[in-house]
Parts: sequence; structure tokens; C-alpha cells
Amino acid sequence: MKKIPLSVTLLSNLALFSLCGLGLYCLVGDIKPWGIVKWLDVFAEGGTTLLALFWLVLLMRSRPAGRVTLLLALGLSCFVFSWWMDFLDEFIKVPGTIFWDNWLESLPIPIGLVLLTFGIYHWHKEELAISAQMVKRERVFREHRLFDALIPLGSANYLREQLKLALKEARIEEQPLSLVAIDIDNFSEINLLFGHQEGDEVLQSITQLLLLNLRGQDLLCRLAGDRFIAVLPNTNERDAEVIALELKNAITNLAYKSALLGKRIQLSASTAVTVGMQEEANTLIKTLNSKLGLVKHDFMTVPI
Amino acid sequence: MRIQCNHYERDTSFISAHHQPAIMLDLAMSRDVNSHQLLRGTQLFLEDMLTGHQLISPAQFFTILANGQQLLKADDTSFLFGQRLLPGFYGPASQVLNLAHNLRHALIHLCEYHALLTPLFTPRYFENDRHFFIYWLDNCGAGKQQRFLIEAYMTAVTRMAAKMSHERLPWRFNFTHAEPRYIEQYWVHLNENVTFNQQLNMMSIPLSYANKTWLQSSPISLQLATLGSKVQLGDMGWNRSFLDTLYDYLRQNIQHNLQLESVATAFGMSTASLKRKLVKHNTHFQEQLDFVRKHVALYLYQIKGYQHQEVAEYLRFNDMNNFRRAFKRWTGLTPTQLCHEKCF
Repeated sequence: MKKIPLSVTLLSNLALFSLCGLGLYCLVGDIKPWGIVKWLDVFAEGGTTLLALFWLVLLMRSRPAGRVTLLLALGLSCFVFSWWMDFLDEFIKVPGTIFWDNWLESLPIPIGLVLLTFGIYHWHKEELAISAQMVKRERVFREHRLFDALIPLGSANYLREQLKLALKEARIEEQPLSLVAIDIDNFSEINLLFGHQEGDEVLQSITQLLLLNLRGQDLLCRLAGDRFIAVLPNTNERDAEVIALELKNAITNLAYKSALLGKRIQLSASTAVTVGMQEEANTLIKTLNSKLGLVKHDFMTVPI
Repeated sequence: MRIQCNHYERDTSFISAHHQPAIMLDLAMSRDVNSHQLLRGTQLFLEDMLTGHQLISPAQFFTILANGQQLLKADDTSFLFGQRLLPGFYGPASQVLNLAHNLRHALIHLCEYHALLTPLFTPRYFENDRHFFIYWLDNCGAGKQQRFLIEAYMTAVTRMAAKMSHERLPWRFNFTHAEPRYIEQYWVHLNENVTFNQQLNMMSIPLSYANKTWLQSSPISLQLATLGSKVQLGDMGWNRSFLDTLYDYLRQNIQHNLQLESVATAFGMSTASLKRKLVKHNTHFQEQLDFVRKHVALYLYQIKGYQHQEVAEYLRFNDMNNFRRAFKRWTGLTPTQLCHEKCF
């Protein structure tokens, strides 16, 4: 079954509530004769309702589904509903004995305000996080101070979460899923000889390089230190091995120049491949890692 | 017999601020952490750290490490910190590590000069016919920083050994803590042979690797550096911590009836002072005694190959049931379970 998008669910619910509101008013009230309808109010209140609806649609179209979007959308929906009810009572006279019409008009506003405030607060936080990310991306080319920030890749935890989803998908689609681990040889030597800052810059360049050599559907994460893992959906072992070799060759052929000395640092990497379908995400990462441990042979290749 | 009291304590200022604490400062500042924030709660300023003669206490160092961990918010802080620790630039003591004959020589030097090289944890070594073992003991009541320090110091030794041996060494690592969420850091910074929930924080290496000759530049330099280390340690005035001294005393006298009172007398202090001192180091007498008995029992079982009865007798237990119960309290396992598990 396909998942119904949030926007559809929300808008259809809003429509349902609005119709219920209309129905309730019709049930208890009488339609006003045209003569006493205040047209200015109709335009003003109808206009605000339409505008709020417009905001809601824009919001849904521009933002990915998520907590912040949901909060903002619910807040706006409350406004739309409240103003719709306000609009309706221009046409329908509700007898004074009814008390709930006022509630339907006024109550959604404070609720909506609270929801919207929450939403905007989290939106603000989200924006800060995104700006931080962008700053870090900028730093890629200028300032290599923040190691964790300068590697714009998901962490091991992110990898685990993504891998769980990818494995589920692979099982449903009955497609093999491959993992490639890439580990830079003698990375500690680079740190020793050229300093930790240079080491960070090497990792940054390699990140960019690996990303360039992967396909659109692949995901690259940094496991820890100088070890990366690429998740390759719909890929069998042989294809994964080809990609692993390509990545390895790309690193060997990268003529990275030391910032301090201007000399090339000869880089190389070890890779390991594993294919999964029935395994747990954690087991798969563990298997891949022990495979890598077997192929890894560190020796001094860094020229001084 | 009176124990000489030239040991450092949690609040003894003897750690050079520009040595290992400065490495944490370097790491933090390279990640844009403000030095004031890192030094918060230590009553130190950046200027103090840079004078080159400021000494700080283990307690202050613990605070710096705790701040660093909190500010950097990364799983690899301990490992990155550890990578930079050894051989270090701490004078002759570091030079000896650089000039050692082989790994075994370097490790024995490390154990002897740990007050200079790994002041917050004490490495101790032993060997059998096939392996060289080095296990780490908390020596100043690290508390919450224990895991961080174990990770850092084991990484430090691993990195130093790899650098000097010019190869990847087949270390095995045992940790007393449970497998952490960030296990991948252990794989990458140590290796795949890591086991958790063990009896000791210990690393081991086959003797063939420990005895492999390192390229050393000059025997004379080594001799001078060794001499220099002795002077360096002598100048500092402390070569081990209070908990180290207590551990050694308990271990030497493990076959005697050890009571708080008799130990306090041997240390030339009242029982109340001894208790207070232990509390200051986040521990108590029974805990220390149990540590020592556990370590002795493990050693007898797994290195000496003693049987249950012999271990119990060695530790002066008259009754096997009592021994089993005590052993279970120290290790969480019965003696029989331990023999099956093989922790070395």
C-alpha cells in the first residue's frame, strides 16, 4: 500500500471539518436573507480564509514532511477553520441559545497560535542547523578547522538507520544490497608527518572524491576516523567490487598536495565488499569490518 | 614497616600543564572550542597553560577532560586525544620510548615512568611464554572519566607501537565496560579484536612482536635518555599515586590478614585519615582489597594454572564455599565459569 502524503491527509481532514462546521450551522441556524448580509465583512472574512488556505498550500508544497511542517500546518489549519466559521456566520443566523458557535470560531485561534509558535520555534532551530551545515560546506574549501563539521557526511549512527531502511527496501524489492568499506592506508602516518590539520584536509578531499565516484542512489557515510562506508542499493557483489575498485583507484590517482609543503602525498586505500539481504544492519557492518581487517595491510608508503 | 609517603594524590599538582593537558587544549581549539570553556572549573587560564612551568592536579586534569568531552560532543574525542599522547614530548621519558630496543622495552619503560607518561592511569605488565600483557588501573579515582582515559591510553600505546614498529600489530583488547554504542571507533582506532565485559582493562601482544627489534639511532642516546628519565622522575618527586602504593602494599601482603586498621598503621595514619583519603579517590578499602584479590586470583588461575583449591588456599580461604562466594562478588563469575571463559 502506498503511503498517503501528509498534505493530502491534512487538507482532506480540514475540508471534512469545514463541511461539518457548515452542516452544523445549517442544522441549527437559518439562512439570512440577502438584504442583511454585510458584503464588506463577507469579502474581508472570506479573503482571510482564502489567504490562510493559500499559505497552507504553499507551506505543504515547499517543505518536506516532518515535525516542523506538521506543527506549522496544523497551526495554519486552525486559522483556516476559525476564519471559515467566521465567514459562515455572515450567511447563517445562529440562534442566541446556541453557545458552541462562538467556541468553534474562537477556540481554534489560540490553539493555532500555540501550534504555530511551537512550529516556528522548531523551524528556527532547524534553520540554525541547516545554516551550520552550509557553513561547514563552505569551510570545505576555506577553513579546515572543524573536523566533524568539515566532513559533511552521516555518522555511523546515521549509517545504521539508513541501512535498516535500505535493507527493508531490498527485501521487499528482492534486490541485493551491497556495502563497500573504504579505509585509507597509513592515515596515521599522514597525521604524524604532516600534522592533524593536514590529515583533516586529506579526509575532506577524499570525501569529495568518493562522492563524485558514486551513483545518485548510493549513500556515503563516515564510519569513524579514516574509514568510510558506501551503501549501494540494487547492486550485486560483482558490481559492488567494480565500484570498490573504482573508488580505490580514484584515491590512488588523487594527486593531493600538502598545503604546507606543496608536495604530493601519495594516498592509497583498502576496500572490502559485502552483500546483504537477510542480515541485520549491525551484523552486516560488523562482517564488512572484519573483512576489511583481513585485507588491510599497513606499511610505510608515505614519502617524506 | 612504614610505607614511604612520596605518592601523589588526586589533588597533588604535578602534571605539567603544557604536556598532556595542552594536547586536549590543542584538540579542542582546533575544533573551535573556546579555551575559557575548556578550562572552566579548573581555576586555570590559557596563559597559565602556556607558561611552560604550570603544574596541575589530576582533579584539574579530569575537569579539563570532562569539559573537552562535553564541548566536542564527538564519539572519537578520546581516540583523537589518545593518538597524540605517546611517545609525546615530555622530555627524556619520551625520548626513551623513541629510542627503545623493542616494544617490550618501551612498554616496561612506560610502566615504570607512568607518572610522567600516563599520569592518570597506571599500566602494569606481566608475561607468559607466549604473550606480553599490559593492564590499566585507575590511580586517582577517575570516576566518570574512566572509560575516556582507558580509550585514550590504549589508543596512545597502540599508535606509538605502530609508529615504531612500522606495521599493524595483532593487539588484543579487553575492556571491563560493556560494548559502547560507538563500537566502530574501537575498530578503526584500535582494531577488530576488542572484547567487552571482561575482568580487566588489558591489551596483549604475542611476544614475537613485542621482542622484534626496532630501528634505534644510537645506544648512547638511549643510555642518556634513560638516565635523564630517572632524574626527571626524581625531580618531580612522585613516581606513583596513593592508590598505586596501596595496591602494591595489598598485593605484597595478600596472604596476611589485611584489615583497615593494620593497613592504616603501615601507612602511618589513623583509620579515619585512610578512609578519608580513599573517599577522596572515589573508592573504599573493601573495593581496593577486592580488586587486588581478584587480580591475584586471575593471575594464579590463568598464568600459573592453579586449581580452585590452590587459589583458595593462597588467598587464605579455609572454606571453598566462602571462596566461591567471594570470587563471584569480585568477578561476577564462579571460578569454574572463569576457567571456561579464558580471559587472557
